[in-house]
Amino acid sequence: MNMHDTEDMPPDVDYDEDEPSFSDPEDFVDDIDDEELLGDLLREKPQEADGIDSVIVVDNVPQVGPERLEKLKNVIHKIFSKFGKITNEFYPEGPDGSTKGYIFLEYGAPTQALDAVKNADGYKLDKQHTFRVNVFTDFDKYMNICDEWETPEKQPFKDFGNMRHWMEDPDCRDQYSVIYESGERTAIFNNDPKDPIVAEERARWTETYVRWSPKGTYLATFHQRGIALWGGEKFKQIQRFSHQGVSLIDFSPCERYVVTFSPLMDTKEDPQAIIIWDILTGQKKRGFHCESSAHWPIFKLWFSFYNYFRRYPLSKTHSLLQSMGLLDKKSLKISGIKDFSWSPGDNIIAFWVPEDKDIPARVTLMQLPSRQEIRVRNLFNVVDCKLHWQRQGDYLCVKVDRTPKGTQGVVTNFEIFRMREKQVPVDVVEMKGDPESKNAFAWEPNGSKFAVLHGESPRINASFYHVKNNGKIELIKMFDKQQANSIFWSPQGQFMVLAGLRSMNGALAFVDTSDCTMMNIAEHYMASDVEWDPTGRYVVTSVSWWSHKVDNAYWLWTFQGRLLQKNNKDRFCQLLWRPRPPTLLPLDAIKAIKKDLKKYSKIFEQKDRLSQSKASKELVDKRRSMMEDYRRYREAALLQHQEQKAARLELRGGVDTDELDSNIDDWEEETIEFFINEEIIPLGE
Amino acid sequence: MKPILLQGHERSITQIKYNREGDLLFTVAKDTVANVWYSVNGERLGTYNGHTGAVWCVDCDWDTKNVLTGSADNSCRLWDCETGKQLAMLNTSSAVRTCGFDFSGNIIMFSTDKQMGYQCYLNYFDLRDPQQIEDNQPYLTVPCAESKITSAVWGPLGEFVIAGHENGEINQFSAKSGEILKKVKEHSKQINDIQTSVDLTMVITASKDCSSKLFDSTTLDHIKTFKTERPVNSAAISPIMDHVVMGGGQEAMEVTTTSTRIGKFEARFFHAAYEEEFGRVKGHFGPINCVAFHPDGKSYSSGGEDGYTRIHYFDPQYFDFELEA
Repeated sequence: MNMHDTEDMPPDVDYDEDEPSFSDPEDFVDDIDDEELLGDLLREKPQEADGIDSVIVVDNVPQVGPERLEKLKNVIHKIFSKFGKITNEFYPEGPDGSTKGYIFLEYGAPTQALDAVKNADGYKLDKQHTFRVNVFTDFDKYMNICDEWETPEKQPFKDFGNMRHWMEDPDCRDQYSVIYESGERTAIFNNDPKDPIVAEERARWTETYVRWSPKGTYLATFHQRGIALWGGEKFKQIQRFSHQGVSLIDFSPCERYVVTFSPLMDTKEDPQAIIIWDILTGQKKRGFHCESSAHWPIFKLWFSFYNYFRRYPLSKTHSLLQSMGLLDKKSLKISGIKDFSWSPGDNIIAFWVPEDKDIPARVTLMQLPSRQEIRVRNLFNVVDCKLHWQRQGDYLCVKVDRTPKGTQGVVTNFEIFRMREKQVPVDVVEMKGDPESKNAFAWEPNGSKFAVLHGESPRINASFYHVKNNGKIELIKMFDKQQANSIFWSPQGQFMVLAGLRSMNGALAFVDTSDCTMMNIAEHYMASDVEWDPTGRYVVTSVSWWSHKVDNAYWLWTFQGRLLQKNNKDRFCQLLWRPRPPTLLPLDAIKAIKKDLKKYSKIFEQKDRLSQSKASKELVDKRRSMMEDYRRYREAALLQHQEQKAARLELRGGVDTDELDSNIDDWEEETIEFFINEEIIPLGE
Repeated sequence: MKPILLQGHERSITQIKYNREGDLLFTVAKDTVANVWYSVNGERLGTYNGHTGAVWCVDCDWDTKNVLTGSADNSCRLWDCETGKQLAMLNTSSAVRTCGFDFSGNIIMFSTDKQMGYQCYLNYFDLRDPQQIEDNQPYLTVPCAESKITSAVWGPLGEFVIAGHENGEINQFSAKSGEILKKVKEHSKQINDIQTSVDLTMVITASKDCSSKLFDSTTLDHIKTFKTERPVNSAAISPIMDHVVMGGGQEAMEVTTTSTRIGKFEARFFHAAYEEEFGRVKGHFGPINCVAFHPDGKSYSSGGEDGYTRIHYFDPQYFDFELEA
């Protein structure tokens, strides 16, 4: 049978004409596009852009003739296969038959290409050839840069006012932040010895707590979506950093950067657990991945001179990074490091490594960026070490717990490193007593004394030592049977508070260490925190709602231990003094002021006396007006009472009971016996 | 001033009250016992026995003839003051929290707790109608759907009852119709106690929100506030001085730390016009649950969680004391 066109075939007589037609009606418009129907197939359709993202250009490749080309290709392969499978390569040749000196390599995926760029760029093949690797698409980008320079649009200047406004208070009142009503309200007060004066108060200013920047310029508040910085006279919002679920932050000492940590957001490709921000521009500088969230502040200490910061995962190694880039492209790896601490004064870092088989434990002081080890000290039979820097970095104390050979117990030594002396000599102070108890150690700021708490409750001793210039460390005084578990030095030195916080019920001892006398012993029942103001004039003890559910308040004391105020705040949580920026006065100006102190004292005393009498006058006036109001109300009420007398008499059947003696007729006389004395007289034999 | 210690209860005191003339002091406690004492020397006159549950409230009529008590045994009982005989027992569906005689002594009111499916009700009985007592049918019963009544006193002429609620509200309930004549909400937490001034022109409230407030009885205008850091359990107005006394402390259940400061629960005295605290009296070994001034203003009493009631007679200095103004 011939093949006919179906159209030419006569209709089949058996054809059932009632069968439905499967053609579209004539006016049918197809409204389903290809994307929907074949989306998955279309996606795989080869596109022109594909493949270009995975191409890299390597420059400074040796130019070789055809006889050495094979060898060159092998070398290139070896180096670049590390980043992924090379699917394509192209070695352009010049007119003389040798390679031009640049090649194209294609990978299976763009990520591999990026990897190659990141790691192979700068690779030194030999003395004359250092690879320069770029993604191919970058060329395009750079080629298309407009020749015309467009000046960036000028952002309107946001005037936040005088950021140091609080420093200009004529009475030199310091500020402090208070969180109360279990976090619902946050207020900033000016510290006036009479009564705190509210500077600003807002509901739900922060969702958890607040932090001040190190120089007091900014107040940081925490929110689910990130942190906000506030400042200036009216505490306007200066900056906002978006970091979902942020839980911890830290500022650089110069207040240029802030680092935020959130345990929520973190992926290997886009590390977001730790982010560093530039405060002034609001830009995100770098993001980091975090291995463990246990140790904060990870970025221990920043420097104002260099943009160093350090990263410290809790794993065996730690990495050092500089200026948002890797120092020498190499991290500083020290295996087995247990703890480290920056010097507050210099670019020196102290760290210790525990014992490892035959190698004794070591404390090392290293200078950065030179990585020179200034001092190393070997320690034997070490159980644990704690590093304590003095505020100016003049001294480092390493508290060493050791188990001497042949003994079972643990003894504690303090190794004092004198940083300012040549070759950093170390002196040792032996601590008697049981180191199992929680010891407290604190250096005097601005000075060379330190205080130690040691012993078991109730026989806790407070010892004061002086690190003298002649190489000796002298025990100045020891107070025994103290109820204390924490030491709080005044930020200016000399004065301090020994406090028995929390479980020790808030016992307080105010000490003057110039002659080691107890100025005052007092108690703030269940106190959980002690905070000195930045000038060292006032101390605040507080009972936080986070630790104790009743009696939440903060008390203000003078540095001598005289109680000035008791401020009850419903569900009080936290008080933080606003730090002060360092003084702008040069040293000789300060000296001159100290010389003339007597003259200034007189003026201030007079001012104080005036304000005191003003206060009492204000109080007296207030009371007078309150009494007048009250009297007026009472008179009106009594008038009404009089008018109701008839009704009262009726209710009580005519008996006048308005006064206790209104009804003398009704009085009865009664004799009542009183028990006066008991005397037991024994009857004689 | 050396206080007179009344030891007659084995459990915490819930309320204390002086009679109109002040010679008798009634104390009731969680031990089901109601006692009456001579206030002059602390000698016990007698006991009203019959309740089988904690006694929450007590009141005495103006003529010191009848005594009214309300208890957790779901009954409000009327007693003859002198003989101690139980005159009537009114059964309820839930615990009786507060009770009182009106100015004339003819009408009694008491409120029941919101318990076990039963609402809070404010009940009024007229004692001149014995049928009401016999049938246990109050002439007026007012339901309180929203917040239960925690303390209540009668108004100056027996026209209304001033009630404090669990949510801090204060309402005036008419004694004739039961409708709410006035309402205010000045406290943020439960009202623990309301007491009147001796001339019934003012009432003072004591609240769990750590403050106490003075109101006008008729208008419920808020006049003064006295702030502390502890929940206030009870407050009273001095009959002769511009003073108020407040007693309070943590609830027994919330005391988890034993302070080394034993006997340091204090009654605090505030100046009524200046709202300033000027004195404290120590001595109780637990929170103070109830305070009351003697009608002549020369002494006051406090009943505590420790089961003791202490009667204090003021030293002469108390009456001379003045805040500078």
